[in-house]
Amino acid sequence: MALGFAVGVFGVLILAHAAYSTIQYRGLLKIMEEEFSGPPMTVLAEVLLGLGLCMWAGLTVPGKFLSIHPDSEENRIVSLPLNVDFMIFNHRGRAFSSEIDMKLKY
Amino acid sequence: MAGRNDSGASEKKSNEATNDMSTFNAENLQSNMKIIYYSRTFLSIIGGVIAGILGFTGFTGFIFYFLVMAITSVGLMAKAKFSVHSYFDSWNRIILDGFLGGLMSFVLFWTLAYDIVHIF
Repeated sequence: MALGFAVGVFGVLILAHAAYSTIQYRGLLKIMEEEFSGPPMTVLAEVLLGLGLCMWAGLTVPGKFLSIHPDSEENRIVSLPLNVDFMIFNHRGRAFSSEIDMKLKY
Repeated sequence: MAGRNDSGASEKKSNEATNDMSTFNAENLQSNMKIIYYSRTFLSIIGGVIAGILGFTGFTGFIFYFLVMAITSVGLMAKAKFSVHSYFDSWNRIILDGFLGGLMSFVLFWTLAYDIVHIF
């Protein structure tokens, strides 16, 4: 997770560096009075590298896919206690008087 | 009695096999949809910045956006290990959902990056 984040930040930094190189390249073209036809090869390579890194980070950082089958391995125990159908409230706890100030300790 | 129980159990199993997708863990499905949304949003922003850096204007930029979204779809399918039905309820969710949602962010960052790099 932290690795993915670091890779994403690194990819964004590479893109920022590519942008800076393009700005410098355009300044150079302005001095030489030529048209901007396309970015230089280095910028293209840098942008592709940045895109690859950011794509990897963008797919791994948000989290894993969780299975939606109710009978898969990881869903086995987790969803059982959350079933409202099995929660009962009509138990002996109502015999406690409501003046008792007890708190639940985890 | 035992025979009746057996047929009842097997009937329930075949029912379960056909009804499998009618009961699924909706909370996980929603979490998966959120993951897709985050991924697509981030990658459309990055795509916009790249389109601005490379100086795309007009139609080329939109072609680039669809290219980035297609690559994202392939990446998401690879992340789901190509067995879409254990994480989503249909193929459309992973391929088409959020396709156009990132378009606005893409255009915003595209114009931003283009202005920064090429105009100033």
